[in-house]
Amino acid sequence: MKISPKLVAALLLAGGGALPPGAWAQQVVVIANPGVQVGAGDIGDIFLGEKQFAGSVKLVPVDNAGLQAAFLSKAMNMDANKYNGRWVKKSFRDGVNPPPLKSGDAEVTEYVKRTPGAVGYVGSVPAGVTVVNKY
Amino acid sequence: MQIVHKTILAACVASALGAAAVPAGAADTAVAARLKELEKKLEQSMRMIEALQDKVNRLEGGAAARPGHAAADEQGARLENLERQVSQLGSGMFSRTGAEDGLPLHGFADVGMFRSGENNAVYGRGNKGFMVGSLDLYLTPQFGDRVKALVETVIEVDRDGSAVVDLERVQAGYTFSDALTAWIGRFHTPYGYWNTAFHHGAQIQTSILRPRFLDFEDKGGILPAHTVGGWLTGVLDAGPVRVGYDAYAGNAPHIEGAAPSAPSLLRMGELNMKAAGSGSHRTSSGFNAWFTPKSQSSLRLGVHGLRANVADDLGNDTRVGMLGAYGVWIDDDWEVLGEYYHFQNRDLSGGTGRRGSNAWYLQAGYNFGLATPFARLERTRLDQNDNYFASQLSGRSYDRLALGMRYELNQKSALKFELNRTRQKDLVAADGITPAPDDAFIEALMQFAIRF
Repeated sequence: MKISPKLVAALLLAGGGALPPGAWAQQVVVIANPGVQVGAGDIGDIFLGEKQFAGSVKLVPVDNAGLQAAFLSKAMNMDANKYNGRWVKKSFRDGVNPPPLKSGDAEVTEYVKRTPGAVGYVGSVPAGVTVVNKY
Repeated sequence: MQIVHKTILAACVASALGAAAVPAGAADTAVAARLKELEKKLEQSMRMIEALQDKVNRLEGGAAARPGHAAADEQGARLENLERQVSQLGSGMFSRTGAEDGLPLHGFADVGMFRSGENNAVYGRGNKGFMVGSLDLYLTPQFGDRVKALVETVIEVDRDGSAVVDLERVQAGYTFSDALTAWIGRFHTPYGYWNTAFHHGAQIQTSILRPRFLDFEDKGGILPAHTVGGWLTGVLDAGPVRVGYDAYAGNAPHIEGAAPSAPSLLRMGELNMKAAGSGSHRTSSGFNAWFTPKSQSSLRLGVHGLRANVADDLGNDTRVGMLGAYGVWIDDDWEVLGEYYHFQNRDLSGGTGRRGSNAWYLQAGYNFGLATPFARLERTRLDQNDNYFASQLSGRSYDRLALGMRYELNQKSALKFELNRTRQKDLVAADGITPAPDDAFIEALMQFAIRF
């Protein structure tokens, strides 16, 4: 039996709270609860708390720990430090809380499906959600 | 295979230990509960890893049985998927909780040391030595989709070293849409940019000191940094630009402690926000309007105004009128901030008429990765025949040039150094009457600022 060195590296890096180098090549699919009407151009504002409503629906963004670095790089053009910094200032000034951080695709998908207004991102298209954009 | 198992086990144990180290300062029960939770997650992780390895074995076996590019591609895709799952599995141990999991407490704190060469009859001799800045704690509870609150308490140290607890913000709000949120309570007065963006958040502020005229009411500021009243705020999508606004009204401040020992000019008054209202109610109101081009989100340009009927202990009554403008440019490299305030205050109780004054600052910093050197120029010209400024201890003109450096220790802590030269004007001698020459002095400061 010979296991992939990439798999071991992924485990070690994940254990340290970092992402594997391959994260940058991962596909990112932004998904939303089926009742949400938002466009690809809204994604940045939604995840920075600037757009909190779509019509009368309160938007509920949710972060995905396993894909966050790839999402921030591809969809938001920023890294985690800048993203967290923006949220600290936003929260302090406006009293808005940052998105909850879920552990992975399964948890995000389940949360988006059951939460009205939820918007999240995963690595592949699941059933039962609206796809907002793919990166 | 055994080596692989040991490697994976070591990674998981390292994860568990790393995570377990996080709550080391918490109570024993909390640590025990956290450890139990981590053990449970570790067991789940091991089961999942074993399942994933079985899948790897099957994939490798399948690939051997099905030679060709298609099989290799499929195997690669599956392995990539597995790697992502494993990565997410590890990351999940460090999940950030959401509002549904409890109410997070946030805060700022700062400590440091400084040496001030100030020496004049009005402000006394400057302090030297180590100092505790403030501890700021705030909560942002949400009550459903539209109702929210912001509660902030600050414990700060006065010039004489005594700790003071301040109910900094208590505001409850209802969000109608992105274009309108209504707040009521005590809030940071939304003039300019600095007062609402940084306020007590020392760690998110590049410099150590605020521009002095924008400091807190009891620290040298000349404006009401807080208002008790109502506040409407929102952001509108206006095609190529985003337009934001603030409109507020509340209790007018009162200048207390003006030391009515005429003919002394040594007035020591401070603005009191009248958080509990007052017998002779006076009002303040103001606005702030800004825009940001969507194509250049680093830029914000705005105008702001404030009007308030302000009385003092000496029986003076002044209608304060402020109009101003500001600009902000913040990108990955530059942080440039500038604010201008023009006062046209009218004496309602005497015959001195209208008095004009102004105050401004311009600050620029450049980010070299972890280090951000910055410079700030600030200047006020405050008419001493205007009762609003004459009654306040901090209502005297000054010039200041500040140079400094901020160094990021990590995402949540920063070390800052600042050197400033101040020329304090409009001073009087110890008798409170004789004009005194300007006091030019240098201050050196160091600050260790954290957030949590």
